[in-house]
Amino acid sequence: MADKSKEGMKLPVTVFKVERVKIRELVEAIGDANPIYVDAEAAALEGHPDTPCPPTFFTLAFQEFTGHYFRVLEELGIPLERVLQGEEEYEYLRDVYPEELLTLSTTVENITEKKTRSGLMDLVTLGTRFSNQSGEDVLLARSLVIERK
Amino acid sequence: MLQHVDFQEMEVGDSLPPVTKNPVTKVQLVRYAGASGDFNPIHTDDAAARQAGLNGVIAQGLLVMGFVGQAITTWAPRRYLKRFKARFTAVTQPGDVITVDGKLAKKSVAGNKLTVVCDTQARDQNGEVKISGEFEVAMPLTSQSET
Repeated sequence: MADKSKEGMKLPVTVFKVERVKIRELVEAIGDANPIYVDAEAAALEGHPDTPCPPTFFTLAFQEFTGHYFRVLEELGIPLERVLQGEEEYEYLRDVYPEELLTLSTTVENITEKKTRSGLMDLVTLGTRFSNQSGEDVLLARSLVIERK
Repeated sequence: MLQHVDFQEMEVGDSLPPVTKNPVTKVQLVRYAGASGDFNPIHTDDAAARQAGLNGVIAQGLLVMGFVGQAITTWAPRRYLKRFKARFTAVTQPGDVITVDGKLAKKSVAGNKLTVVCDTQARDQNGEVKISGEFEVAMPLTSQSET
């Protein structure tokens, strides 16, 4: 089970480079044909200096692709097979473009035990701050992870 | 270039034009696994999914959130998206046809800036809600007609 004493804990940072090809892979998997994500000219028509990241792109950085998420769960003592994703929230502070280097810092914001119809669960809220190579905050992500007990 | 919704002309309670996706396919789940690095076999291997107590593979929740993200940036220019929240309420399986709809929940103008908050939902062909979400867009009032 999630260790309540880890509330407030800050996890080791991960550095993630925004790769053009990963943006393309993601929009192709989603089936999102919006040209702004792959065509700089189309992006320019919407006021972008380059192709922007689609709204859920950042999940690649702090979840599976970098392994950040797995390290977080391991630190918290939550077995992967008991994890359900409850909620995901992004707050977009600045535009992010290919080749940018993002630093992710995750804090365990809250751990709460909840009794539900399907049994006891731990609700873990993780907050991740993304900053760019200039030290500016570009995105705040909040994930509600549910551990079935 | 996409034709976005004119939020300036919309009122609270108005609906956004629904976005319907092609049926979810197993190949799509494999593609998403490759893109995201989520190689949990419950998304790509039917035998492993059954062993985990499922009827077969299920879609990654973030793939369906990606569908909602696609709908949002169909409705509004990407650069105006300020906040996006999704609550995962049910699993999605191959063959499901997901439709994303939205409704304007709040609208406010401060100076030259229009801010709208919309509720959005991703439902399957039977009306089951997979994701219940919310997003906020903020845009300059004057350039609205140009976008």
